[in-house]
Amino acid sequence: MDDPRTTTEEDLPPASPAESLRLIREQRAETARSLTPDPRLVYWPWSVSWLVGFGAFFLRYGSDGDGLVAMPDWVPMVTLFTLMTLALVTMTIELRRAARQVAGESSTKGAMYGIAWMVAFASLGVTGGYLSDYLPPAQVGLFWSASSIGIVAVLYIAGAAIYPDRTMFALGCWLAIVNIAGVVAGPGWHALIISLAGGGGGLVLGFVAWLRLARHR
Amino acid sequence: MNLPELDPVIHAQARLRVVAALSTLGEGDRLSFPRLQEILGMTAGNLSVHLRKLEDAGYVEVTKTHHGRTPATLLRLSRRGRLAFEEYTTAVRMLLDGHDVARESTHD
Repeated sequence: MDDPRTTTEEDLPPASPAESLRLIREQRAETARSLTPDPRLVYWPWSVSWLVGFGAFFLRYGSDGDGLVAMPDWVPMVTLFTLMTLALVTMTIELRRAARQVAGESSTKGAMYGIAWMVAFASLGVTGGYLSDYLPPAQVGLFWSASSIGIVAVLYIAGAAIYPDRTMFALGCWLAIVNIAGVVAGPGWHALIISLAGGGGGLVLGFVAWLRLARHR
Repeated sequence: MNLPELDPVIHAQARLRVVAALSTLGEGDRLSFPRLQEILGMTAGNLSVHLRKLEDAGYVEVTKTHHGRTPATLLRLSRRGRLAFEEYTTAVRMLLDGHDVARESTHD
């Protein structure tokens, strides 16, 4: 990134008003791209984890407990949690890269928003851990999936209000809708709906957000 | 081309890029010197020279602080700097509208 231009040349005014506007537009776009997290790294790892992880649940258990594909019981759960952990790590690294060496309101907002995620999942973990013993086995998986996807949906909508980010808002609303539809459809179907509609929707919206950022003017 | 009505502090390629970059920050945010340098791709010495001129004009606020033991320099546009940048952009647009727009923007 060495700039070959000398101080003297950079002291010269832009050649024309059009050149001034071009410099402003390009510099603002380049700065925004550096300071904004790459939507592909924020959305795609989660989308893939839902697509593959919940997809594995549906293939293993189907809609009535009889799976379409034979695999050990632990495979879907381990797949989902491994992929979600990788998604969390990837997203956190990218968010920290974008926020690096920026001080002020946005870093305070980011820290509080991060705490909101931790509080939400800690509350769910404690409540769910307590209640799971009282639920019929068939409903336990649905409870965990539906409540965690519901939390993600709500936090995406809240994040969209904070930053502000319309793509994040769209993804939060979409996840909330398909999550509710999945719960109504019942265990098994929920996994299939989240896999295809949630994971697929995240992949598409991540791509849309990336295109917007790449064309940022 | 002679454009005497444009603010000479901003109307220089390097300083225009500095001000444009800082203008994308949120109002409550400051950017560190090394990160700004990385975004602009300028040398530290070069960037310091231009920042000094912008600071002298009251357009950029420079805050010296510490992250643990490491000293850090944080930068942002002052209210006056934001206003000057807006006025500059408006003036440039007006100049452009007054010229042959098609000829000026052929490379766009």
